[in-house]
Parts: sequence; C-alpha cells; structure tokens
Amino acid sequence: MPLISRTFIKAGMIFFALSLITSLLIEVNISALPGLIPLFWHMLMVGWITQIIFGVSIWMFPGRNRDEGFKAQLWGWLTFIFLNTGLILRVISEPMSGVAATGIWKILLVLSAILQVLAVSTYIIEMWPRIMSKKQQREKRKRQRNRKKKEERGSK
Amino acid sequence: MPIISRWMIRCSFVYLLMGTLLGAVMLVHKAYPLHPAVWQLLPIHIEITIFGWIIQLTLGTGYWMLPRFLESPQRGKKIPAILMVLFLNLGIMFVVINSLVQTTLQLSVAGRLFELASVILFISLHWNRIVTYRSRE
Repeated sequence: MPLISRTFIKAGMIFFALSLITSLLIEVNISALPGLIPLFWHMLMVGWITQIIFGVSIWMFPGRNRDEGFKAQLWGWLTFIFLNTGLILRVISEPMSGVAATGIWKILLVLSAILQVLAVSTYIIEMWPRIMSKKQQREKRKRQRNRKKKEERGSK
Repeated sequence: MPIISRWMIRCSFVYLLMGTLLGAVMLVHKAYPLHPAVWQLLPIHIEITIFGWIIQLTLGTGYWMLPRFLESPQRGKKIPAILMVLFLNLGIMFVVINSLVQTTLQLSVAGRLFELASVILFISLHWNRIVTYRSRE
C-alpha cells in the first residue's frame, strides 16, 4: 500500500474516533459548544468515509504512479493537505464562531469551505484520467514503455 | 474497468464536486449570511453526497471488483446493468428537482422508486457473483 493511502486511512481512523467522541458529547449533553451535530456528521462522512474512499481508490484504481514522494503523488498529497486542513479548520471555527463574535472564526470557516472544494478538485484531477478500460490501460502502459525506451536511448 | 463502472464512477465524481460546492455555499452562509433560501440546499446536499457520491461509487466499484462469472457475460446481462445506472441517476435527479421546485407531482416518491429499482437491479446482478472459486479443503 503506498504511503499516501496509508496516510489517508490513518487520518480517516482518527476522524472516525473523533466523530464518535463528538456524538458522545452530544448524547450526554455536557458540551457548552454549539453546532456539534453538523460537525459529527462531517467528521464521519468526510473525515472517515470520504477519506478512506480517497485513500483506497488512489491505491486500487488503475494507472497508479508507483513512485513515492510529494512530487510524484502531487495531486494526492494536495488532496490530503486541503481536505484535512479544511476539516480541522471547520472543527475548530464552527463552534467558536457560535460562541465568540470575532471575525477571525468566520474567516476560518470560509477558508475551510474553500479548502474542502480544492481537495475535491485535486482528487478529481488525479482520478479522472485513471477511470479507464483494460484496453486503455494496456495502451497507456505501452506508451510509458516506449517513452522509457526513447529516454534510455537518448541518454546513451 | 467495465464501461458501467466507468459511467458510475465518473457520475459519482461529478456529484461529489456538486455536493461539496453546495456544502461550501452553506458553510460560507453560516459565517456571512448570503440569502435566506440557502438552507433549502441542505436536502439536495445530503441527497447528492449520499446517493450521488458514496452509493454510486460503491455500486460502480462493486460491479467492477466483485468476482465474475466463469462464463460470458462475466458480469451478467448488460441491459439490467444499464438500467441500474439510469434508474439511480433518474432517482437522484427527481429527488433533487422535488427539493428545488414547488410541484403537485410526487417527484420525490418517483425518485425513491427509481432508486429502489436500481438497488434491486444491483442485488439481482450481484447476488450470484458473491462466491468463492477456491475449492474447500
């Protein structure tokens, strides 16, 4: 399993636990913070479900770049950074904007919305060309092999 | 990846983007109120992200990855599979339209019936594919 997928799945597991802790706080009614119900649902559906879908699909869908590293997995890593930063910002700023009237929490909430849209956009940029038939997959591999051979000949 | 899965996964990506954009508008509205009607987007956001993104992606991936029949057609008949995609997306659209426009037609009921038909087709296509081809020791 590539590093990017492992990172997505582990981050997803943390959000899974956090979402259930939040649901517990809602059930026992001990938190004075408002807006916990939407946070619970988004940590569960975005932080856990969507995040493991992202991680597993980057790993299992055809046409994966097997090189590791930030540059080789650029769109995947950008998706991870945007999604998790966006969600963490939301988890902090949504209850805080209901408690304190300062503008900073509102700005962070808007930033969180933008980051989550960016995360989805970079994920689609990464995955859209990888939705291919077996025939397209074979042709892609053939093209890559030919390109490698050309590069090798050029270096000689 | 078979063409049915490619259609479903591409549709699910489109719904994911649409659902996230709607969610982002509502999140911005929480910070800086845009228009009172923005909250009417909530049921559409939920329908699109649950049925359009998560369910559609799961069904499309299941059609691709579950064990295939040993004889052709390896993933079952093509027409029920095409109808499965069509019914699911018609169902989502009917439910979304019902949230957007005031109408005496029970579009949400029709939408849910289409979604149910799609799920029944999915089950009928995959029931016999949930097998193991390893012989018991």
